[in-house]
Amino acid sequence: MIRCEQLKKKFRRSTVLSNISFQIDEPKIIALIGRNGTGKSTLLRLIAGHLKPTAGKIEVLGHNPFNHLQVAANTIFIEEHLTFPSPFTLADILKQGATFYENWQQELAEKLLAYANISLRSYHEQLSTGQRATFNLVYGLATRCTITLLDEPMNGMDEAIRADFYRAILKEYIAYPRLIIISSHYLSEMEHLIEDILCIHKGVIELHAQLDEVQTFAVKLRGDKEQIAPFIERIEVLHEYDEAPFYEVVVPAANVDIEALQTKDVFVLNVSASEVCKYITSEAKEGIDHVFK
Amino acid sequence: MILNQNSQIPIYMQIAEWLENEILADRLVADGKVYSQYQLAEMFNINPATAGKGLSILLENDILYKKRGLGMFVVEGAKSKILATRRTHTLTQLVEEIVQEARRLAVSDEELIDLIKKVQQKG
Repeated sequence: MIRCEQLKKKFRRSTVLSNISFQIDEPKIIALIGRNGTGKSTLLRLIAGHLKPTAGKIEVLGHNPFNHLQVAANTIFIEEHLTFPSPFTLADILKQGATFYENWQQELAEKLLAYANISLRSYHEQLSTGQRATFNLVYGLATRCTITLLDEPMNGMDEAIRADFYRAILKEYIAYPRLIIISSHYLSEMEHLIEDILCIHKGVIELHAQLDEVQTFAVKLRGDKEQIAPFIERIEVLHEYDEAPFYEVVVPAANVDIEALQTKDVFVLNVSASEVCKYITSEAKEGIDHVFK
Repeated sequence: MILNQNSQIPIYMQIAEWLENEILADRLVADGKVYSQYQLAEMFNINPATAGKGLSILLENDILYKKRGLGMFVVEGAKSKILATRRTHTLTQLVEEIVQEARRLAVSDEELIDLIKKVQQKG
């Protein structure tokens, strides 16, 4: 459905994406993860066909997406700054959606907005940040586009409504499977929802794997530094927290002898997918405490 | 049942375990139809692929079988099979953990056995 090969995007002199290669072949819910300013939105814009790559190849539904009508009709890109013509009420916007998108779900859109207490008579620009995000997400789900790109869809929503709409995304996906890519800073909130993780760091895809592979990728060892040391010699350390009396180190699970460690007084702890992403996209191994030394 | 997102046990294993418990409780019976991955996804608010993995584990362990186009069903004798594995595997593992913790706390073997007996009597 989507194929990127050595995709590159430069804005003036700054390179945002230097070398992006990945492929997605089937409908899935995918989390797009990366630190602030790593090019998540840029990648989504390239997929949506709103931007032209500087170099490399991108194919969406078998076509170059840039200014491609068929790709546009089957792709929806939902972002914070989504704008609609200002004289339109929400009802007008939905009516317009129905004319453009073949699988448009009017009833679903109306019911979800009613649930969120958003009046169809209000104007898009008058909505609060959270309400606008909710409306945009509802709009995105109602299109039932083959490729649904959600850029930080939950920004500004309160916790209760976020939980509701994660479930709405899941139910819609089950009812009508499509490729949904969600970029978010709230990975831990949506780990249950997703199948794959796509993690960008420094302009390249640092990680593209199934959720449970990421969840079992690393372990956290907590205990006595001297006892742990022999187990992690010559092993890549993802993160280290060394503030006596506490010592913690995060390492790839495959490289340590977990059974042997468990016989020592060392706690072997799980590392969630969001933590794994945090560590592999981190510049510093020492963490924030190091700054204050 | 609410899934424990922070557990050491992956979600798909928790799903498999839950289905096994349903079989043990006779809520799912031999040759009875099991929830589909989409039903499980809705019930537990998880990705259908995760639910699917839970089902595949039971398929591999011959707890469930597949009928083409109809879904998955409980194997005859699944219940006794689950009981046998849990006794040998799960219980052994739990005991291992108890023994390890007892050593860490310098609890003697006699004391540990006494403790187990005490808990059993409380019943």
